[in-house]
Amino acid sequence: MIIEEVFSSRGRVRILRILSEIGELNISELARRAGLNYATAKVHLQILKDAGLITHKSFGRIRIFRFNEDNRKAIMIRKLMEVWEQENSGDSKEV
Amino acid sequence: MSYGSVFRDETKLDINYTPPELQHRNIQFKLLNEYFRHAIMTPGKMTQRVIITGKIGTGKTVLTQHFGRSITREAQQRHINLHYIHVNCRQNKGSFFLILQKIVAHFHPGFPKRGYSAEELLQTLMQILDDQNTYLIITLDELESLIQNEGSEPMYKLSRIEETRLKESRRLSLICILRELSWLSKLDASTRSTLQNNIIQLDSYTKTQLQDILNDRIKSAFKQGTVPFETVILAAELGEEEDGNARYAIELLWRAGKYTDAEGGKEVAPEHVRRAAGSVYSTMRKDEISTLDYHKKLFLLGIARRFQQTRSAHITTGEAEESYKIVCEEFDKKARGHTQLWKYMKELTTLGVIKAEPSPSNSVGKTTLIGLPRIAAVDLEKELNNMLKSTGEDTSDDN
Ligand SMILES: Nc1ncnc2c1ncn2[C@@H]1O[C@H](COP(=O)(O)OP(=O)(O)OP(=O)(O)O)[C@@H](O)[C@H]1O
Ligand SMILES: [Mg+2]
Repeated sequence: MIIEEVFSSRGRVRILRILSEIGELNISELARRAGLNYATAKVHLQILKDAGLITHKSFGRIRIFRFNEDNRKAIMIRKLMEVWEQENSGDSKEV
Repeated sequence: MSYGSVFRDETKLDINYTPPELQHRNIQFKLLNEYFRHAIMTPGKMTQRVIITGKIGTGKTVLTQHFGRSITREAQQRHINLHYIHVNCRQNKGSFFLILQKIVAHFHPGFPKRGYSAEELLQTLMQILDDQNTYLIITLDELESLIQNEGSEPMYKLSRIEETRLKESRRLSLICILRELSWLSKLDASTRSTLQNNIIQLDSYTKTQLQDILNDRIKSAFKQGTVPFETVILAAELGEEEDGNARYAIELLWRAGKYTDAEGGKEVAPEHVRRAAGSVYSTMRKDEISTLDYHKKLFLLGIARRFQQTRSAHITTGEAEESYKIVCEEFDKKARGHTQLWKYMKELTTLGVIKAEPSPSNSVGKTTLIGLPRIAAVDLEKELNNMLKSTGEDTSDDN
């Protein structure tokens, strides 16, 4: 999958950020926190999963998605997000 | 700690503090380890169920917590994936669902809060254990509350879950904590028989044992030389009178220390302990009362008020009910029915907040008398008023 596919959507980046911070969540909660509707969240999750950035686990009817700690791309994205956060907070201090 | 206090570190006297060392529970600690030997030696070959029983403040909770720490440490050294989870049933409102949810959240903090049954949660838990090749010891603390709330079903399911998975490894073991073994009679016969093979009884502490517990705690909680020998003895004596309750003795010391500080004194005197004993409305009870459902609080408030209107040592259930109705009116709530109140009364009795006893047989009709053994009605009312004000109505009320 090409990188544009992942980063071309606010929703997907949002989900990645949430999972990167929290570790794992179910769809409804993810959707709520990302401000997405359930169906949209589901589509995004599928794409992120195909890209190998997240994994999921099923328990009966419950599905839990989690950030894929074993994926190098995922790890780098998390790093990027952290750096981004830090630099941003630095910016606001300078203002 | 501030200058001029007798305390070195007050948090060491907190009810939730777990001391690094246990006094006088060595035999029971070893026994518990013995029961779980196989979890270390041959993990997965069998499961274990142990009951721990003893009166209030005899160290049931602290003993199991110590055991949990020590066994997980040992398992770690042997590269066995063993977890220990301690759940207080009462703090989870005696709900099997909430208890299981707490256990599942230990492994998956992101697990959703609703949308499935207790059954599914139990299956989920077993799946997690299988997936992660993990063994688990659950301590169900204050199990009374679960049995009272949901009867024998949860324990039945918990004790059967392993049997329905014949081929796989045995993963789930249980430690059940009960103040009174008589609660076992509420379970069905087969569950009872799987549970009651291994019972560890914690006898009430004697005065000298309490002294040792206190002295050990004083070392870390109070500044050196601020708690003289006589003070410790008195607190231990009073603790022994309260059924050998270590929590009570520790709390007495804490309060006595508070009085000392308030006076600007340098030493905690026996007089401070006496004063503490007079005013103690144990923090333990406060904790128990604060987790009661809204209407149970109202009922208790009714009782507390009624006691202030009478000089008698008891009130009748009829009086309690009447008083509760008045309280309900004041709080603008619809009063619960008679059968419900009867249940409340039983629960409050179990908690030890009130005492219910049949009236002397020669009196007319059969009625139950309610006593308020250890708490001053005024204090109880004050406490409840505060709680009711701050919490408001709890909508996840019981049935
Ligand atoms: N053997 C001991 N050594 C050191 N501290 C102890 C010992 N036994 C009890 N304590 C302390 O006394 C207090 C009460 O103990 P604990 O909470 O374990 O009692 P419990 O039997 O669980 O009471 P309850 O029936 O009310 O739940 C705690 O603060 C605990 O740390
Ligand atoms: Mg306890």
